[in-house]
Amino acid sequence: MRTIACLLLALTAGCASQSKQPVAMPPAVAEPARPPDQKLAPGTSPAPVPHALATAPPAAKVEAAAHLDLKGLERRLRSTSAIGLFTKLALKNQVDDLLTKFRTYHGGKQPPTLTDLRPNYELLIMKVQSLVQNDDPLLAGDVARSRETIWGVLADKTSFATI
Amino acid sequence: MHARIPALLAAAVLFAQPTPAATDDAVLKDLTAVITLHGKPCGEVTRADRMGDNDFIATCKDGNRYRVRTKDERVVVEKQ
Repeated sequence: MRTIACLLLALTAGCASQSKQPVAMPPAVAEPARPPDQKLAPGTSPAPVPHALATAPPAAKVEAAAHLDLKGLERRLRSTSAIGLFTKLALKNQVDDLLTKFRTYHGGKQPPTLTDLRPNYELLIMKVQSLVQNDDPLLAGDVARSRETIWGVLADKTSFATI
Repeated sequence: MHARIPALLAAAVLFAQPTPAATDDAVLKDLTAVITLHGKPCGEVTRADRMGDNDFIATCKDGNRYRVRTKDERVVVEKQ
């Protein structure tokens, strides 16, 4: 009886002393994006993709983001959760005020001149960027990239008429 | 005992008035952004008392108080 107890004790001690060996895991590698209909054949592994290719954003997405127009900006600002309702309405008020000034300018009244309007526009863009940059950096980046495009639309009488 | 109940009810009705509702962080952040957008000194809104629909009294860290509300589809910020 004592022998069995000793054996059990030795067995327990042996199990307890085994240190946990880390399980060998394959390194985490981002699998390249694949269309849902493209499936791998059973037993085959995905072909290795160079790191630069794997992390590079799709060119089409970058291109689309760079051409955020006024309507697109408005839509994105409406849908973002980075700013609250009061802020959204206040921004809309300021955008409307700026558009009124541009309307006056394109209507032939001066002042304001384009030189007067540019700082107003830049300030508004900066306000938008600073408001969203923490919680929606993607939108902030798109706004920054679209700054000149939007200015081009506002400054040109023909383009402005289409807004 | 029964005589006390009407008195208690009367007291409850008497003291029941629309109290400023406690507001969450999102509202404080929103009010801070709006006051800043209007170029008013504030720093950060630390307390917001709801006065009605889209109508708040915002108390700033620096002691300034503003009434922030919407009127004719515009945000109005008035110093209190």
